[in-house]
Amino acid sequence: MSPASPEPDKFAPGARHPGVAPQARPVRVMIVDDHPMVAEGIEAILESYDDISVIATLSSGQEAIDRVADLRPDVILMDLNMPGVNGLSATEMILETRSDTRILILSMHDTPEYISTALSHGARGYLLKDVPTEEIKSAIDQVMQGERYLCTGTRAAITPQTADGRVPLTNREQTILLQLALGKSNREVAEVLDISVRTVETHRKNIKAKLGISSTAGLTRYALEHGVLQGTGVRL
Amino acid sequence: MSRISFHQITQALGSLRRPGSARALLLTATVPLIVTVAGLSVLVAFEARRLSEREIAELETQLIEAKKRELKNYLALARTAIARDYNPALPDDAAAMERVKQTLAAMVYGSDGFIFVYDYSGTNLVAPRQTRLINRNWAGLRDVADTPVVDELIDLARAGGGYHSYLWTKPSTGETERMVSYVIGLQDWQWAVGTGIFIDDVLETVSAARAETEQRIRATFGWIAAITTGALWIVFLVGVIIVMRDRRRADRKLKALTLRIFDTQEEERGRVARELHDSISQMLVGVRYALELARRRLASGDARASDNLDRGIANLSAAITEVRRISRDLRPSVLDDLGIGPALQALCEEFEQRTGIHTEFETVVFSNRLAPEAKTAFYRIAQEALTNIERHADARAVKLSVFGHKEGATMRISDNGKGIDASGGRGAGSRGLGLRNMHERLERLDGRLTVTSTAEGTLIDATVPLTHLLPPDTLGGPRRAPNLPQSDSDRPVSEGTRR
Repeated sequence: MSPASPEPDKFAPGARHPGVAPQARPVRVMIVDDHPMVAEGIEAILESYDDISVIATLSSGQEAIDRVADLRPDVILMDLNMPGVNGLSATEMILETRSDTRILILSMHDTPEYISTALSHGARGYLLKDVPTEEIKSAIDQVMQGERYLCTGTRAAITPQTADGRVPLTNREQTILLQLALGKSNREVAEVLDISVRTVETHRKNIKAKLGISSTAGLTRYALEHGVLQGTGVRL
Repeated sequence: MSRISFHQITQALGSLRRPGSARALLLTATVPLIVTVAGLSVLVAFEARRLSEREIAELETQLIEAKKRELKNYLALARTAIARDYNPALPDDAAAMERVKQTLAAMVYGSDGFIFVYDYSGTNLVAPRQTRLINRNWAGLRDVADTPVVDELIDLARAGGGYHSYLWTKPSTGETERMVSYVIGLQDWQWAVGTGIFIDDVLETVSAARAETEQRIRATFGWIAAITTGALWIVFLVGVIIVMRDRRRADRKLKALTLRIFDTQEEERGRVARELHDSISQMLVGVRYALELARRRLASGDARASDNLDRGIANLSAAITEVRRISRDLRPSVLDDLGIGPALQALCEEFEQRTGIHTEFETVVFSNRLAPEAKTAFYRIAQEALTNIERHADARAVKLSVFGHKEGATMRISDNGKGIDASGGRGAGSRGLGLRNMHERLERLDGRLTVTSTAEGTLIDATVPLTHLLPPDTLGGPRRAPNLPQSDSDRPVSEGTRR
């Protein structure tokens, strides 16, 4: 659990395939779920595997965001539906600072919309809670190999797109679009949201690509026309 | 119709007093009425006064003309009476003059009438009823209104004769009244002979006529005011009755709606209870049997225990699936978790699979911008509309889209079916109910539902105002869940968080 331990450095950002040496040390897994019975159940199941170490079981997205830097998990099993910061937002925010964390979204829902939304927020996999317990282990193995994991039966045809071919903006991207549309610079947005300027730049690039808009004025107009700026006093 | 209670009337009056449609109705009825009546009254009064003024003036002229004719007659008589003495006399025939004076002095008539004579220097020679005037010079005499009297009479006499009007003391009463005099000249003797008549009776008649007109106008005004007040009362009462009827109708509608909600709720509860009891309970009981059997077999070392465990696990999985289905039927969690876009997308996909009707869904890239109540309304309206299309429209393609704009957010559902009006008969009733449900859902949110139906298809636009888009500040702030309704909960958040 000690973040000062030198061992996890092997798996710090940049180490693409830590799975090649599974014997070196157990995979550090963090469980985030506000249902204690589920969290305990998963923990009990995972503890039965030697090559997995459950380093923490947390009960909210906010807690996960706050403690991820200290705990440095390899894999996070994240419940989608939590009060406060939900699993999708927490996933985005964790990836902003620790982009190599492999996050598996846990959910009771098996509709394709959930899965595509989870993937569009940066999750590496989507895991139904009522799968056979061995699936949880294989999901962790699979994402540690650097692959995506999609639960049995729903692997087919998952493309995170709206019908007109546009990729929906994630929660975080909407937040940043709003800030940019209000006329804030990258640096100001970074300050407001407590993230790095480079992260803002990445988001901005993604937003522009998703919307097919090249200028900031275009972003503002788009936001205004779609009712995003309602109440902010911005007029074109 | 049942009788109208006092309570209802006070309620209706209350709603008239409140700003709103009732008051607007009353104002639109009364303001033009009052303005029209006021305008007409002023016009009528003005015209009436003008007309009667003209009549009165004519009357006055006629009366005075009559007086003047009378005067002329008197003087003609006088002239005839003195002709015998005057005509043959020389200018300095003092005896003839004396005879003429006496003749004239004798010619008094009425209570105030007499013949007067002035010589051209202004000295009075004859004034039988005002003898104090006689033998005194009255040149330069002016009446109380500063009109020259004697000088003017003499001038008229010099010119041959004429009328003059001035104020003069009435011999019989001693009061000053207006009089009209007619005067002729006896040029040989340089005499002005005249007689005057008081026209106070004429003036009285005229002013009485004027007063009568005024009185009539005032009476007319009184009538107009009374009729207007009556009309206003009628408008007011009709307004009260209309408001009361509307209120009653709304009450009835509300009652029916409440009843329908209760019925639906009860029906829904019954269905859920049945499903829980019929499927979930039975499955869980099965699980319990399997687990108990497994325990007994484990205790007795029976190897078939694991079969029972497998059975139990399989049953549990089925139960979980069943719970998921029931829960989704009650309310699709995707609506709360992911927003209206993914929820409608799922709805459309499921609809296409079930009905084989080609269904397109289109939305903008924003998610979770709609307030929960608007999301629910849109979702239920979409469900209702798709059900209608499936049952009645005979459509081959459906298009559903959600988009935000400057006025709010709109969901548009269009199909290429046969339209609503064409679908008569059995389907029309339930379809009408469906449309009413949609209307009611949006009405509650100050939204708007427009349905355009032709033989080529139906287009439904459901719009909610901007107030039902989540304000952008729920998107902002560091390390915060951007757009979930729960993000306003009071859970501790990290430093630097802004609200």
